[in-house]
Amino acid sequence: MSEYPSMSRTGKYFVTAILLFVFQMILGLIMSFDFVLRGTSNTPAPFDILKSLHLNVMVLWLLLGFIGGIYFLLPKEVGRDVKHPVLIDIQFWFLLLIGIGIIVSELFFTGKNWWLVEGREYVEAGRVWDILLTLGLLSVVYNVGVTIHERKREMSTPMLVLAAGAVGSILMYIPGEIWFNSLVAAEYFRWWVVHYWVEATFELIAAGAIALILLSITDVRREIIEKYLAIEVALVLITGIIGQGHHYYWIGTPDFWLFLGGLFSALEPVPLFLMAWSAYKDLKENKKPLQNKVALYMIIGATLGNLFGAGVWGFIHTLPQINFFTHGTQITASHAHFATPGTYLFLVLGFAYIATPALSGRTNFSQLTGRIGFWILVIGFLNMIIALLLAGIIQVQLQRLEGMSFMEVQNILLPFYGWRTIGGVIALIGGLVVAYDIIMLGRKKII
Amino acid sequence: MNNLKLILIGLLIPSLLMIPFSILSFYTDFANKNPDPSQVTVSFQGKDYSAIEGKRTFEQYQCMGCHTIVGNGAYFGPDLTKVYKRINGNDAALATYILSGVPEKGMPPMRDRGMNEEDAYRTVAFLKYTQMLDTNGWPNNGSWDRDGNIDGVQAKQISPSGIWQIILGIVFFNLLILGVILAYERGKEEKHE
Repeated sequence: MSEYPSMSRTGKYFVTAILLFVFQMILGLIMSFDFVLRGTSNTPAPFDILKSLHLNVMVLWLLLGFIGGIYFLLPKEVGRDVKHPVLIDIQFWFLLLIGIGIIVSELFFTGKNWWLVEGREYVEAGRVWDILLTLGLLSVVYNVGVTIHERKREMSTPMLVLAAGAVGSILMYIPGEIWFNSLVAAEYFRWWVVHYWVEATFELIAAGAIALILLSITDVRREIIEKYLAIEVALVLITGIIGQGHHYYWIGTPDFWLFLGGLFSALEPVPLFLMAWSAYKDLKENKKPLQNKVALYMIIGATLGNLFGAGVWGFIHTLPQINFFTHGTQITASHAHFATPGTYLFLVLGFAYIATPALSGRTNFSQLTGRIGFWILVIGFLNMIIALLLAGIIQVQLQRLEGMSFMEVQNILLPFYGWRTIGGVIALIGGLVVAYDIIMLGRKKII
Repeated sequence: MNNLKLILIGLLIPSLLMIPFSILSFYTDFANKNPDPSQVTVSFQGKDYSAIEGKRTFEQYQCMGCHTIVGNGAYFGPDLTKVYKRINGNDAALATYILSGVPEKGMPPMRDRGMNEEDAYRTVAFLKYTQMLDTNGWPNNGSWDRDGNIDGVQAKQISPSGIWQIILGIVFFNLLILGVILAYERGKEEKHE
């Protein structure tokens, strides 16, 4: 560890990411009461503000987790320390400050100032925060880029994929900030942020990170892992970039997107299946005893969450003929609550469970708490996912096919929303267990 | 570096294809016949408010935080794309609806959130524009807008008398999951021994 002193600065990224994740779950849980007690609920803030914070806090902790992860893994792979270690600290506090700014703006300035709150899904943060966040993220690009440029060793494919994913994610934040008078163009480019994150650049981060973590905990040959990775990444890009079309069915763009989006996004599960399959094969071939079981749980969770949450749950409503009826229903909510935590939460937790013990020197930790936390999270999220999926199927049938009114269907869905709330409570308990475990692993050493 | 070449091909071919696709989407005869937002206006007290100002208002008050527009946004409230048609193009009725909200259904009076009448009419202009968009037929008739009227059904809350069904369902579902987890963990331990 002493070889690369900058690594010790990354611990706070993981701990903060997990605390923000717990905060996000609390926000989601509060919102779920708005669904079951519609009109009579007394939530501390209006639904729209809670919902925006629920998304923005997630974007923040994902970015923190990924940036922390890349700063943690980079030095060993390029054979030199990060070029400007001080920037790691400055960027952390800067991003956190922006996060607090976004939260305060949402709570007190929604509807009052467009420069502070923009109110577009996922990119609700106002112009001021957009610009500051972009500057902060570009400085991360600079620091990573300059470190890679002055590398002492040839870069491995997984690290290159991981770095490309991180840089791409940061650059992809920019298209969503361009102002268009037309809603069609605005939605067209807003999806460049959201879709190219979750179905291209974040997937690169996931693929690269899973490969790197498997390399570090197993004895599978590097060439085998790298060969699979290259095919996975090429397929993710080939299907994902034009697969963007599945967001262009009904926003006022031409109907050739129905064919393009349907075709390419129907193929999107293929690389996700390859990812899960190659990880399974690597682990089967591996003869080295696995020390860090919790990290392994998280990585297996991420590959399976990616395959089922993004792949299968995405596929069921990606074809235009089906999406015509499922678009804008709880089916999408089920998909989002499976794909995002299933892939990216477990990935960030995987980073945290590899980095925290390594940084604090507590490598011989009891892995029971982490495993229990993992399973509680899985149970909680499965309850939410299934409740929302059933709600979505019923909503499609009654509202979109039979033509019942929105409110009538929402009344029918109340039991499923109640089930979802209980799933949220279970997931929150799991999140608290994992957060407690990681804080205890890093206490007094990294925070 | 064959791996790198493969990845670069995967990145470049679809990325380059996105350029003509994007141009076709907006600047050619292929593009849908969408209205120009600067031409769509509503008037209130002798002043015209355009859909462009309305888009900004729509964003500022975070309508997308509860509702969807062209199906994107939150699923707490109904979709707003065709709401202007549902209210039969009555600007004043829609503006009043926005300002006074429907608290019993979960929609706050936007007046309480600092919205004035001008901003309400700007939002109406934006919603007038969205119902003119050519969205390839979405949403189909009779789904979001039954009878061509604003949704008249009263909201209900979850009833305590029905909760036992939910609890039973959840217990059953989670026993199934726990069974699978138990089988997985036990199977692994036996292999290690």
